Amino acid sequence: MLQWLVAAAVLSAATGAAAAGPAVLRVLAWPGYAEPQVVHSFEARTGARVELTVIDTDESMWQRLNAHGGQDFDVFAVNTAELQRYIRAGLVQAVDPAKIPNTAHQQPRFRQREAIAGLVHKQEGGPRTYGIPFTYSEMGLIYDRRQVSVPPTSIAALWDPRYQGKVIVYSGGTHNFSLAAQKLGAASPFRIEPDMWPSTVQSLIDLRRNVLGFYNQPEESINLFRRHGAALMYANYGTQQLHLLKSQGIDAGYAIPREGALAWLDCWTITRGARDPALAHAWIDELLGDQASRLLVEHQGLASTTMASAASQPDVRLIWLEPVEDANRREMLWARVRSGDRASRVLAP
Amino acid sequence: MKTGIAWRLGLALAAVGVLAAGLTGYYAYSASREMLVDGAEERLLTATRVLVRQLAVGLNGTARDVRLLAEHPQAARLLARVDPQLQQRSETNVALLFERMLDTHPEYFQMRLIDVTDHGLERIRIDRDENGLVQVRGDDLQEKGHYPYVFETLRLPPGTVYVSAPAINHEVGAHAGLGKPALQVASPVHDPDGRARGVVVINVDLNGLFAQLAGDLPAGLQLYLTNSAGDFLIHPDPSQAFAFDRGQVARLTDTFPAAAAMVRDGQDRRQELVTTATPAGGAPVVAAFVRQPMSELRHEDEFILGLAQPLAVVLKDSDDLGRVSVRIVVAFSALAVLLAALLARALTRPLHQMVDAVRRFPEGRPGARLPSDRSDEIGLLARSIGDMQDQIRAQFANLEQKQGELDRLASHDSLTGLHNRRFFLDRLEHAMAHARRSGTELALLYIDLDNFKTINDELGHAAGDHVLRTLAQRLKHVVREADTVARIGGDEFIVLIEGPADEDAIAAVAHKVLEVLSQPVPHAERDLACGASIGASRFPKDGATDIELIAAADQAMYRAKSEGRMRICLATGARVQTTDLAEPGADRGIEERR
Repeated sequence: MLQWLVAAAVLSAATGAAAAGPAVLRVLAWPGYAEPQVVHSFEARTGARVELTVIDTDESMWQRLNAHGGQDFDVFAVNTAELQRYIRAGLVQAVDPAKIPNTAHQQPRFRQREAIAGLVHKQEGGPRTYGIPFTYSEMGLIYDRRQVSVPPTSIAALWDPRYQGKVIVYSGGTHNFSLAAQKLGAASPFRIEPDMWPSTVQSLIDLRRNVLGFYNQPEESINLFRRHGAALMYANYGTQQLHLLKSQGIDAGYAIPREGALAWLDCWTITRGARDPALAHAWIDELLGDQASRLLVEHQGLASTTMASAASQPDVRLIWLEPVEDANRREMLWARVRSGDRASRVLAP
Repeated sequence: MKTGIAWRLGLALAAVGVLAAGLTGYYAYSASREMLVDGAEERLLTATRVLVRQLAVGLNGTARDVRLLAEHPQAARLLARVDPQLQQRSETNVALLFERMLDTHPEYFQMRLIDVTDHGLERIRIDRDENGLVQVRGDDLQEKGHYPYVFETLRLPPGTVYVSAPAINHEVGAHAGLGKPALQVASPVHDPDGRARGVVVINVDLNGLFAQLAGDLPAGLQLYLTNSAGDFLIHPDPSQAFAFDRGQVARLTDTFPAAAAMVRDGQDRRQELVTTATPAGGAPVVAAFVRQPMSELRHEDEFILGLAQPLAVVLKDSDDLGRVSVRIVVAFSALAVLLAALLARALTRPLHQMVDAVRRFPEGRPGARLPSDRSDEIGLLARSIGDMQDQIRAQFANLEQKQGELDRLASHDSLTGLHNRRFFLDRLEHAMAHARRSGTELALLYIDLDNFKTINDELGHAAGDHVLRTLAQRLKHVVREADTVARIGGDEFIVLIEGPADEDAIAAVAHKVLEVLSQPVPHAERDLACGASIGASRFPKDGATDIELIAAADQAMYRAKSEGRMRICLATGARVQTTDLAEPGADRGIEERR
């Protein structure tokens, strides 16, 4: 009797599932990550349907994924620093790289996932990988080859008085404190010890006094660079800015300092509430394929983990972003530095 | 004649009338509506241009203020730091100037005098806060050399003014201005040698400026202000304004796609635009956008200002017009239908008249009067029909007359005027058929004139004819009207008597005939006398057919003639006693008249 009940239940479930139509994959991504051609070929290959949602800030991503405890989406792309937040909140599940054959085509530094902080967590039962590297951008130094004959080798070039009034820097507290920490030789740019605050603040004030100005948007930076004949720029948007400058006719060069370039790495990760993890793995594999990689580079100007570039060389030091010791403090202090306060005022409580 | 000419003509005329009224109404409405919408758009555009002017005027006013201060000798002196003693006084004076300026301009947040040295250190700074004005001093003064309003302004020639891009003010310590939309208006301070020594900066409260702009707007109009990329700075929904400050994008082209023509770079960038669009979750609006015109101020970024009005309001006038148009069209259409009906009737009535007249014509009844008095084609037709009718009548009359003549010729003897043989035979046949049917009797009298040949031979045809004519007349008169007399031969006559055919009746008539034929006929001073031999036959006694009857009568006549003339013989052989009217044996013939 029981067997018949079970068989009936299974049968109805199967037919129910079949009657429900093709499987649906709910993707949350940044603009340009899921090109229509890639989506079409994925749908054709797996017979599934893709529902794509696009966000453009970390905050909106966090809100959407938190909305129903991660039940609204199956797979999303997030940078290594933000990923930790999701891991802590229990919103994501482990990814099985074995189910993603295209990881074999990635550059060596992206295959060594344990070396990327926060990507692989050691837990009982073994190490669990929470993200597969997808795209990245590093923040290098852009320089005007006509004014800077030797490519800068250190981040300290931004503080070089030779370039006083000809330096352009991004206006971001978290990143700029990391820069200052790098310049001061700190062990980790993401960890400023309590006794380091005064020196980093002073360093940033010195930087402020050396620059022409600060920028937020890439277009802004290009305008400043061109109008004022800048010599050096900290490229928060990486090679995107380099290309923009070159298209404006500026003979710009790009260098990664020996201290290493801060870089963000966006990884695909699977939500805890994913309906079909196998399908999610198939998606990630598609996004690491030839077509997707090519489009990423050509259409979006982003770097692909499967293709070699200047920054992907093993000898280039990339420092993947990590959560900092106190983002709020950094931003608060930076706001004061940016406003022109002297050191005593900046560090005042 | 339900679908006849009248109806069809009426329908066609009505259709033309309605179509004309409808088309006129529609095109008039359509043109008027376009004019109304154009007019509303024009007014909206004009209002927007006025607002842009106002904005420009406001900024120019601030520019003048900042120049006033930048070119004030106190400012240069202060920055030159020539004399330490004067320094204090200069600072106080400049601070006072700034305070006065801020007092009179509630829309200014801050005024500062910034030195080119010491990394753009502020020297004099007056801030507005919730309590009033405060002068910032000492360590609270900040270095501003890395801000565009300093490093851009320092590069400018004396007397020029820099206007920054509008942004949310994040400069820590800015008192009332912190976190508010602001822009900086700055002018360089030059020393007598022409070197830039510093800048004077005024922070303008954009909300105050915007409130001024929006305050004068009539209800129903919405204000939009964007930068040159189209990022909203003022929006009816405040959450859309300064989205770029929060890392979001809220742009003009999201709501008004046509505005892309105003935002793009290049020669073909439009300075003005009127467009219709539907903002998310709202009703359609008509919006006019005007780009800030060129000015002598150095703008870091330009404005686009827009005014929007609900489309429903713009179209309301045109909708009213539409309703009025419809009413007019309906009224004129009704009029057209009425006129069409009247006209159709007016045209077809004379046609009906003519049809009526033509119809009744063959019947000979007097038809309806033809509309012959008209001077148009219908009158012509009517007159032609009348003429034709007259002609036809005349011809018919002619024909009838000729027909009558022919009939008479066919049935009468031309000489005597009596019926002829042909007629008589026909009459006899009918009489016999009638007698057979009704069982009545008939009698025939066959009359042969005596002595006629003599007269004819001796006196000629003229006399003979005259005798015949006279005797025929007498014969005709002596016989009853109901009976038929005919001349069937040269001098032979026959009489048909309808009615009882007994001997006495026949004898009576025969005697009368004999008597009247025996009387002399005067002719040319002579009296010509004939006589007659009469044979009588009866129906049905003496014959069953007309041939038998005539033959019997003929035989009786011959017997009478052979027995001496001037007598009557009945067909069955019995002789009718008659008074001989002549002396026995005497030949009647020609006797001279006494």
